[in-house]
Amino acid sequence: MSTPRHHVVIGSGVAGNQAAETLRQRDPESRVTMITVSKLPFFNRYDLPRVFRGERDWRKFVIYPAEYYLDNRIALRRATKVVNVDGARRTLTLEHNETVRFDTLLVASGASAYMPAELAEYQPLMHGFGAFRDAIAAADALPKDGHVILMGGDTIGLDLGRTLLDVGYRVTVIAEKHTFWPHEIKAEERPLYIEALAKMGFEVIDGHARGEIAAVRAGAPGLAPRRVVFHDGSEIHGDIVMPFFGVAPALDFMLGSGVDIERGLLVQPSLRTTNEAIYAAGDVCQIWSDADKRYHFYHGWKNVRAMGELAARNITGADEPWVPIQDESLQLSADGRIRSPFWEYA
Amino acid sequence: MNKTDIQIAICGSAGEGTIAAGDILRSALAGAGYRIIAFDAYPAEIRGFGKCVARLRVTTEQAYSLKEKSDVLVCLNDDHGIPHIGEVRDYGAVIYEEKSIVPLAEGAHVSAHILPGQVPYPVPIRELSERTTGAVRSRNMVVVGYIAGLFGLSREPFYKIVDAKFKNKGSVAVQNRKAFDAGYDLGAATFKLDDVQFGAPGEMFHATMLNGNAAVARGCLDAGIDTFFGYPITPATTIMEKLASEMPKRGKRLLQTEDEIAAIATTIGAGYTGARAATATSGPGLALMSEMLGLGVMAEVPSVVFVSQRGGPATGIPTKTEQADLNIALHGGHGDAPRIVIAPTNVDGCYRCAGKAFEMAERYQTPVIVLLDLYLSNRYETVALPAKSPFEADSDKPLAKQDLGAGYKRFAYTDDHVSPRALPGMAGGMHVVTGLEHNELGRVNEQPDVHEAMSRKRHEKLKAALSHPDFTVYKRFGDEGQVDVGILGWGSSFGECLEAMFLARREGIRCAALKVVMLSPFPVDAVTAFLDDCGAVLVPELNYQGQFAQLVQAETCRPVHRYNRVTGTPLRVEDIYAEVRRLALAATRKAA
Amino acid sequence: MAPQPIYLEEKLKEIQESGRLVYRSKAMPTWCPGCGYFSMVDGLPGALNDLGIAPKDTVVVSGIGCSSRFPFFVNTYGFHSLHGRALPVATGIKTANDALTVIVVGGDGDGFAIGGGHVPHAARRNIDITYLLFDNGIYGLTKGQTSPTSAINFHTTTSPYDNLDQPLNPLLMLLTYGATWVGQAYAGQPQQLEELMKEAIAHRGFSYLHILSPCVTFDKTDRTYVNLGELVCDMPPGHDTSNLSAAMALAMDTAHPALGVYYKTERATLADNFEEIVRRAAGDAAAKRATG
Ligand SMILES: Cc1cc2nc3c(=O)[nH]c(=O)nc-3n(C[C@H](O)[C@H](O)[C@H](O)COP(=O)(O)OP(=O)(O)OC[C@H]3O[C@@H](n4cnc5c(N)ncnc54)[C@H](O)[C@@H]3O)c2cc1C
Ligand SMILES: Cc1ncc(C[n+]2csc(CCOP(=O)(O)OP(=O)(O)O)c2C)c(N)n1
Ligand code: SF4
Ligand SMILES: [Mg+2]
Repeated sequence: MSTPRHHVVIGSGVAGNQAAETLRQRDPESRVTMITVSKLPFFNRYDLPRVFRGERDWRKFVIYPAEYYLDNRIALRRATKVVNVDGARRTLTLEHNETVRFDTLLVASGASAYMPAELAEYQPLMHGFGAFRDAIAAADALPKDGHVILMGGDTIGLDLGRTLLDVGYRVTVIAEKHTFWPHEIKAEERPLYIEALAKMGFEVIDGHARGEIAAVRAGAPGLAPRRVVFHDGSEIHGDIVMPFFGVAPALDFMLGSGVDIERGLLVQPSLRTTNEAIYAAGDVCQIWSDADKRYHFYHGWKNVRAMGELAARNITGADEPWVPIQDESLQLSADGRIRSPFWEYA
Repeated sequence: MNKTDIQIAICGSAGEGTIAAGDILRSALAGAGYRIIAFDAYPAEIRGFGKCVARLRVTTEQAYSLKEKSDVLVCLNDDHGIPHIGEVRDYGAVIYEEKSIVPLAEGAHVSAHILPGQVPYPVPIRELSERTTGAVRSRNMVVVGYIAGLFGLSREPFYKIVDAKFKNKGSVAVQNRKAFDAGYDLGAATFKLDDVQFGAPGEMFHATMLNGNAAVARGCLDAGIDTFFGYPITPATTIMEKLASEMPKRGKRLLQTEDEIAAIATTIGAGYTGARAATATSGPGLALMSEMLGLGVMAEVPSVVFVSQRGGPATGIPTKTEQADLNIALHGGHGDAPRIVIAPTNVDGCYRCAGKAFEMAERYQTPVIVLLDLYLSNRYETVALPAKSPFEADSDKPLAKQDLGAGYKRFAYTDDHVSPRALPGMAGGMHVVTGLEHNELGRVNEQPDVHEAMSRKRHEKLKAALSHPDFTVYKRFGDEGQVDVGILGWGSSFGECLEAMFLARREGIRCAALKVVMLSPFPVDAVTAFLDDCGAVLVPELNYQGQFAQLVQAETCRPVHRYNRVTGTPLRVEDIYAEVRRLALAATRKAA
Repeated sequence: MAPQPIYLEEKLKEIQESGRLVYRSKAMPTWCPGCGYFSMVDGLPGALNDLGIAPKDTVVVSGIGCSSRFPFFVNTYGFHSLHGRALPVATGIKTANDALTVIVVGGDGDGFAIGGGHVPHAARRNIDITYLLFDNGIYGLTKGQTSPTSAINFHTTTSPYDNLDQPLNPLLMLLTYGATWVGQAYAGQPQQLEELMKEAIAHRGFSYLHILSPCVTFDKTDRTYVNLGELVCDMPPGHDTSNLSAAMALAMDTAHPALGVYYKTERATLADNFEEIVRRAAGDAAAKRATG
């Protein structure tokens, strides 16, 4: 009896889950293992703002029921971190000292919130939004009618901000170069979008004009719990401070794998890396574009899902190139409201 | 008030303090005011790396058995933990050692097996133990602390137990507190994703937590036991061990005999002098005692024999539970040898049956067998024991002065068939007791009429036990009147029968359960009445032959349905319920 | 010295006045005429009487066998138990009530075949009881089969080609087991038997009296009065009853069974030990007996 092919997927986000499902469909005899540091099964992170509407039961966010994984024979390994991939031997090492062999590997480890180096030391005073527990912690720290300071304000942050405003919180955006990330906006149009934010109810502070953010500090007695200090000496106060400076690919565990890396994992339009057994999909990869001869990141759940599916197809014998399916441009509607394609999901 | 019903299982190897962890958890939670049912499973090996599983169910309402699914599983060790992951319910917690110090092959770590519905909690157990105590020994304390922290329990009851447990071991208590704290702090800081919720214990349930054997020992002591004789055998030994430390404190005597024949012989010897005497054994020992029990019957000498059943026959499965010694308890030995056999169904019952056994042995001048099994002997429950002994200090039939003298008849025929007995040392009461058939004087006599009269006396006198004061001979639970299905249970497995009955009622089946505590003499009328109330009757028990079912059928001439398992483990509530449902459905189909 | 004539009338008077008759029950012994056991029904009442132990404070415990019928023939409390189980029954009685004088009676099969497992333990615990073992080298009650003390080449119904099994040496066994009083008597010398019974009962601790006795019905060849009478001898002069090795050497000389006290010593009895345990349990550290 020959041992079945073992497809390993790193990451249980949109890309990883779509890939696992496709692998299972196209290679029914194989073993499919999905490894993730997350303790929760695949959940809808786009829905995370609901936490601030009082929804605190993670089970309400889960996308597939537990049986889904059992029925599809997808071994879901949670709370498990990959620390090294050996591309030549086709093994990966887990943090708890277990070695797993793979026949094919799909890296869909996504990206984690980017933190500018000069602000990193203040992280303990900020509230993240990457994981379910971060959202809960932020919501817990926020009093009724409280004041949230969004630093940067990428589309993820602004999406959260929309909910916060809707619930009745006060939201201040410190606009700077990451605001609206990953959308690319022409410099001259920027003021229009900033103005639109104000119309939506955000209080907008021009970080650049204040000489950029210098520090985050705990509030002094009698003041709100957090202060954001600017280089010009001014400061603003709020209950919680949340950084939204875009994301950086999560790929430290790939550094010894022998595949090419620039900022993300470099892949061909087929989503294959420089190792023929290793593919990548989602936020972690940069895809070669024949058109403009450079590597591109593509974000947004629709693109990411399509990537997961394509990688799985190519792993299982297809040979199809990547075609982005989601428009990534930010829009300003007639009534002056901002619309991001990333905010559209059923 | 928030109802609590949480089952925690801890898996590990014998050397890892698995059982100790379970012990501290259940003791502390009992101390905090919760109700506990706990049962540990461990290997026959004395030391080494056999698998141990400690399970405890923590409730605010009375519960009667362990649950099928655990809410929390702790794996102190990958190999032993992995096979148990399936018992954790969805949204329950799996707590395990975060990292291995040795490289693992694929699938050798607990995390590889956690099911999608369960919540993983990797914990640096070893690291915390080493950091706080310099050794890995306290891993179990780290885990106990982690659970307490994760579920927001107060530290105090745990400190109390740790201090008490390591009272005489110098710095060990301090070290273990540190390990506990380290686990606690991490648990408290851990983001909780499971939905296991401890409600407040509510109105404090003033309870002691004991296992069945300890309850037996307490019952013996409260009944004023004078002498105990025993030969070690699993799972009865801990009765003797407990008494060995407690009886001398009360000036009483315990002797470890050379075998079970000697154990019952000494017990009967002591009983003959008027002392309250008992022995404890398991199936193999009971088999050796059979002949001597017959002597106890013939000589009408009181004796109490605790029998904790285990897997049989022969040496069988010493560390697994079974209810297959009912036949030998009822009938073991030669001749027409009636005796009283009672079987408690829970830990509280162990206490009561133990104490009452001495009353009955004395009152009816007979051997009394108290049937337990491993599952009951070793299962812990919180029980509220009376502050003052509820047992009679002396149940002997009074002996009038005028009875004594030259014509004293030790075996006189009386209305209740019990003859007042003279004890050695009493002037004018000299007589010989003998295993040979004898007349009223105790003289050997083989006449047909004497043998018939004496046989009648020995049998008839026991009937009164069916109305022994303050003793539950049987008890009905659930729906009254006519029911679709009745469950008839005995001994340790009645708890599961009861839970299955509750389940059936919740599912709309009219259902009742009858527990039978006194198995000999058999409460024929009550059981027959119950059977007549039931559309169908299920008799679940842990033996292959259906020993209790046979007894019921023979005594009542009514058919019953059997449900027999011999897995060495307690019956499963779900399995009993499935049988009940099957019977209920069959009944409706027949009616339709 | 020529034996003095004994006159029946005088003897009867002496017996009646002695008080020993209160120890005799009204039951007639069921033994065969001439059986060696009759001497014990005479001996024990005399011994108890001389020691002043009241019948109500005495329990005679036996197993099963011809010898074990004994309790019916004395007027004390009696426990006629099971084949081989007299010692543990007696242990239970004595454990429960120290005040009783407990005497165990049994045969060679009862004590060393079926009940053999109990003997070492009664001896090593030094329980304060007396074990009178009637050794006729045969199973009397079941009508003459070989016993653990039957001689080699002894012919019985279950050894029709003769017994080839080595007999046990009970005296040597008891010395080894740690009995604190070991002696031997012969049913054919009732006066000495009575004296030895008395001494054994008076001894504080476990006393073992081995009594050679003929089974006149089923053994016509080996342990007859004639043969035994020729074999038995007195203790060698100067035998030191505190010398265990000397006692063992004597016990090993099975060709010349010496009658009298082989060995006696004093050590804590089972009851002493129970009391010691009670003291220790009370936390009385000072009470801890020096060991070794
Ligand atoms: C809070 C939040 C809200 C967002 N909202 C929107 C939105 O509204 N609309 C939209 O279009 N896009 C949104 N995005 C962005 C979009 O979701 C991403 O493009 C997409 O999530 C990327 O998916 P992915 O599968 O590549 O990676 P991810 O979803 O980030 O998943 C990465 C997975 O890899 C695992 N992983 C990482 N490292 C390791 C390792 N070493 N070992 C094992 N496992 C590892 C992680 O546990 C995770 O499961 C949001 C992103 C975030 C963080
Ligand atoms: C368990 C059991 N097995 C066998 C017997 C039958 N039995 C009665 S007495 C006896 C032997 C008696 O021999 P011994 O003990 O030497 O006594 P004696 O009759 O010689 O005095 C036997 C085998 C019995 N009563 N019980
Ligand atoms: S059979 Fe032998 S031992 Fe028994 S009574 Fe007769 S002579 Fe004595
Ligand atoms: Mg004999």
